[in-house]
Amino acid sequence: MGFQFLALRTLPARSSLRNAGIFPAFPVLAFLVFLAVGSSWASDPKPTPDNTIHIALATAVTPQKFPRPVKFFIGDVIDRAGNAQPMLITSARGGIFVDRLPADIVREALESSLKAADMLSPDAASADLILNVYLFHFGLAPSLGDFFGKIELAVVVKDPKSGKSQQISASGTSISHLAKLKRNEMKDLEADFDGALGDAIRNFLRGQALHDAVASAAASPAPA
Amino acid sequence: MAISLAALASAWLAVTPTAAKDSNAKFKTVEAKHFERAEGVELTPEFSDYLYAELRTQLQKTRMFAQVIGEGEVVEDADAPASVVVTGTLTEYKKGNAVESKIIGYGTGRRSLKLHVTVARRSDQKILGNLEVHVKAAPNLNEKLLAVEAAKQIANKVKDSLEHEAS
Repeated sequence: MGFQFLALRTLPARSSLRNAGIFPAFPVLAFLVFLAVGSSWASDPKPTPDNTIHIALATAVTPQKFPRPVKFFIGDVIDRAGNAQPMLITSARGGIFVDRLPADIVREALESSLKAADMLSPDAASADLILNVYLFHFGLAPSLGDFFGKIELAVVVKDPKSGKSQQISASGTSISHLAKLKRNEMKDLEADFDGALGDAIRNFLRGQALHDAVASAAASPAPA
Repeated sequence: MAISLAALASAWLAVTPTAAKDSNAKFKTVEAKHFERAEGVELTPEFSDYLYAELRTQLQKTRMFAQVIGEGEVVEDADAPASVVVTGTLTEYKKGNAVESKIIGYGTGRRSLKLHVTVARRSDQKILGNLEVHVKAAPNLNEKLLAVEAAKQIANKVKDSLEHEAS
């Protein structure tokens, strides 16, 4: 029996660096993850002239007649819809966008209608009533098998002389059917939103609530 | 060839006055309001919006009204006697039973929606029609399609009642 030297333990084959073919897989995996993330970013629809529609009133809405001539001034138009992409109408089929911000579209529709009826004041100082618009919904409402365009707004009618203000709600809806081709779908959406916008502006300008607001503003005396 | 063109022209002339006559609406305006709900009617809030929008579309299609106005819009005093207001209540809704519908069939287990609709003249609030509408649909049918079917039936019944009233 002699002294037994400690024998060095041999490393198993799998742990030798020479055979560690797994390591090149990590950069490949990282590259694949990068590609996947990149492709998901790339799939976010972007507005182009081919997927953008123009929404405007086809004909100006004629406001109701008031007992005495009234001049309105459009103050702030604030988008309270909370959409991250306010100009994106639908993300289907590569996305369909509107060419301007919803607030600008509503402002232009209101101003053109009031201007056509000679009821638009050029500035707040010379206006009888100031309209501050809050846009709560501008887009497609949940639906199945068709487009359900919906525009909801609240308008604060302020009398600058007395300082009193009243809030009026107005809404517009329109339904149009889905088309097979994207080109036709864009036309349908444009017509749908034109209809909903006209409906909402009409609902406000010809509403009993605005009539009552103007009447109460005329009745309330200016502060001394 | 000349004969066929003449025949086409005469046919067009014969059809044109009919089309023009169809566009002559009997009423100036109709206002559809959002329908109220009776207690226990469990439909989504979007249903009322969609029914309102679809009802306006269907009322326009009846060609009885020159203009379908939105809720709460003013009407000229001169137009008020020839204007009507459509109001209604969703009185009962049963969501149906898909299993019963599949196994038994013959209309059992179907969705059911009952509505009470009132048509009134704007100027004096005279009731021109008290209508009961009962819509039945397959239990797997979407709520929106139920609203479309309800709106069609309401518009047809409103048209019938107003035609009856006018005659």
